[in-house]
Amino acid sequence: MNKNPKGYVSFVLHAHLPFIHHPESDDYLEEQWLFEAISETYIPLLRNYKKLVDEKVDFRITMSMTPPLLWMLDNKLLQKKYIHYLNEHIELCEKEVKRTAYDSRLNELSKYYLNRYSDDLHLFKDVFKCDLISAFKHFQDIGVLEIITCGATHGFFPILFVNEKTIKAQIAVGVQTYKKYFGRQPRGIWLPECGYVPEADKYLKEFGIEYAIVESHGILYADPTPVYGTFAPIVSPGGLIAFGRDMESSRQVWSSINGYPGDFNYREFYRDIGYEADYDYIKPYIAHDGVRVNTGIKYYRITGKTDQKDYYNLQWAQDSINMQTGHFFDSRVKQINEVAPYMDHPPIILCPYDAELYGHWWYEGPDWLYTLFKKIHYDDCNFALITPSEYIDKYPNIQICSPCRSSWGANGYNEVWLNPSNDYVHRHLHKAGDRMVELAHLFPNEQDELKRFALNQCARELLLAQSSDWLFIITNNTMVDYAKKRIKDHIGRFTKLYEEIKRDKIDEKYLNEIYRKDKIFDDIDYMIYY
Amino acid sequence: MPRKAKEEKEKLEEKAVKKVTKTVKSSKEKVAKTSKSKKAPTISKEEKESKKTAKVKTKASKTTAKTKNATKKVAAKKTTTKKASTKTKVSKTTSVSKEEKVNTISGEKFEIAEYYDLPYRYNQTVVKLLYQTPTTLFIYWDISVKDSEKLKEKYGEDFFEKTRPVLIVHNETKGYSFEVEINDFANCWYLNVKDSKCNYKIELGRRPFEVTYQGEVTSVKTTPKINTNYIPITYSNTIESPNDHVLLEKAQEMLYFRNVKTNEVTSKNIATLTYLKSIGKIYQVNELYKKFYNEEILDYSKGGFSNPSSGGLSSSSFK
Repeated sequence: MNKNPKGYVSFVLHAHLPFIHHPESDDYLEEQWLFEAISETYIPLLRNYKKLVDEKVDFRITMSMTPPLLWMLDNKLLQKKYIHYLNEHIELCEKEVKRTAYDSRLNELSKYYLNRYSDDLHLFKDVFKCDLISAFKHFQDIGVLEIITCGATHGFFPILFVNEKTIKAQIAVGVQTYKKYFGRQPRGIWLPECGYVPEADKYLKEFGIEYAIVESHGILYADPTPVYGTFAPIVSPGGLIAFGRDMESSRQVWSSINGYPGDFNYREFYRDIGYEADYDYIKPYIAHDGVRVNTGIKYYRITGKTDQKDYYNLQWAQDSINMQTGHFFDSRVKQINEVAPYMDHPPIILCPYDAELYGHWWYEGPDWLYTLFKKIHYDDCNFALITPSEYIDKYPNIQICSPCRSSWGANGYNEVWLNPSNDYVHRHLHKAGDRMVELAHLFPNEQDELKRFALNQCARELLLAQSSDWLFIITNNTMVDYAKKRIKDHIGRFTKLYEEIKRDKIDEKYLNEIYRKDKIFDDIDYMIYY
Repeated sequence: MPRKAKEEKEKLEEKAVKKVTKTVKSSKEKVAKTSKSKKAPTISKEEKESKKTAKVKTKASKTTAKTKNATKKVAAKKTTTKKASTKTKVSKTTSVSKEEKVNTISGEKFEIAEYYDLPYRYNQTVVKLLYQTPTTLFIYWDISVKDSEKLKEKYGEDFFEKTRPVLIVHNETKGYSFEVEINDFANCWYLNVKDSKCNYKIELGRRPFEVTYQGEVTSVKTTPKINTNYIPITYSNTIESPNDHVLLEKAQEMLYFRNVKTNEVTSKNIATLTYLKSIGKIYQVNELYKKFYNEEILDYSKGGFSNPSSGGLSSSSFK
């Protein structure tokens, strides 16, 4: 990597899944989101980080890992369920190897999947000892990965901020969870949905957060206009440093028309044997109620804008990766050459993405990153990879501007999380937030163990109700029933406990049961709402 | 979505129903089962309506009985049989004695079947204001029974029939207000405003019905007790709507920088900056932006920020 670069590129991957934990049933399909993300994104990223380190490639990457994701990765039951998921997949792949013996191309692919899931099982159980958090932490500890935190349950600040204590709690618990798993203070935060409100600045500072990632117009529409646009961070009057998303590089990856993931050689997401295989054959591997779902075993490539899909070819996919990373690399070199002369410091090009894009949706994404990072390391290049923290340390002189209220949702503000499909929820979130603050003031530093337990569980239920995911799902109109149920469950549990606490009639059995379902944030202290 | 083998599920349902709700007639049970698929598509519509009329509330709670989990279904049914009394109650839990062996991976036993519905209202006088976009505000409100009674006491039993609700929008930054007529069937509203990046506050009040003739107010229908043409009820919180454009109009001569390590603040004349100096212009951040972004982002209406992250290929689509 260039030792005296003209500019920097910073990749930030946001790894998040909502808290989904159902010890009471094995029938929740939603639990599979975690397993799919582990097999398709988290393990492939770890595998590639290790390869890069082994090959002595100097690279830098930043990842946010949200508290619910960390908790789920750490949870023994979900680890057990993931192993169960892998075993089922391996069994299916073994059957597939036999079934596809009639076609050498298909057969090769089914063997590939068999190897891949078997390797996942080996890595997960034998190498990582079921502990993916420590695996990520290792790369942070050796200095190639910077892990940042997020709001406790991905609560969307631009909706919660009308009760500032509730955003304070999101931040406090996010930082507390990070410290628990990574043994140090996080320097940065991924604001849930990149939702920036200036009201959060003071709490971010209070809990030691130096910087946040914001959407492009969070910087470009800032006041006063930042002289370097998104090519340099800004610092708010409250002291929060904000890095903005670079639009050009984002578009190259994201564009639905000519974005990289749409390459015709890449794997077609929507052709899955869960939907295509003979029903009786596939039945044991789809939903228990017989509904066809994705299995993750996909044999086709995008091929073109046609329903006639050709088989996936691993080598062709790698060829496209090589070509695209070359294009991305050249585009950044050009961009930096154009921008650097106008700046006093080397520019930073920030490339934030959902981590799960890499691998889950864009199957080749993790290998694309690996190939790109090697290219940056070995090729003649005018830029270097950097983390936001390293950039701040190198260039601490930052223009003072107030970032613009913004998010990375459609149209850049609150429409995704506040629209006629989900606006009935907000009054309940606000009311529960107000009631939580009321409880903290009615029973400050409660000494009674049971009441304290109930108060802390109230805080958990409130935080879980606040996940931006439920509002998003309702807007997106998929799995809506599940999201609506989760809102009702958490608000319902909160309200029941709130009333019991105030009447001083806590149903201990009930409390214990809901705790076992929603036992995230072991060390939470409801006094954060005081 | 809970996925359960159908046969197993139905068995469980029947068992649970027998155990818990002996009073529920079997015919009702059938109705609930068969209506499951029919009701599913209508839930969102009903939930929307539930915002508008109290009556719909009981309907909405019925539709939630469609949840596939057997035990929940039982609880739901129980609630609907008591619909009259559940209006303000939030939660109901039922103990279900499970004799069958726990065969989940967790091996954990749960005995309490939970069913919740969101309360229709909290019986609290409130107006809350949020922004949806730089020029769209979202407001929700409610008036408590106590406050309603007070108003009736003061202005007569027919106060709510003789008056209509209004929202008065105050733009505190630019110092103007305007009024929007709303109705008593709504409990929330989206409002377009013309100025972004301004502080707004909303006032909820009521006005006596006016009788108009050819657009002119001819008389105000008042009662002896309503002797004013406006009765304020309550105020909202104040919020600032977001900015929606590059603030090129706010030309600045001096730029301020903070060294975040030392907290030292320094100022620079914009004309000293590398590029601006080289072209000999001052106050020309827009020139610099044109260089950076080829003008494409300077106009929001051109969709420069149509954000890909919520457009498809996102982890959010897991959901």
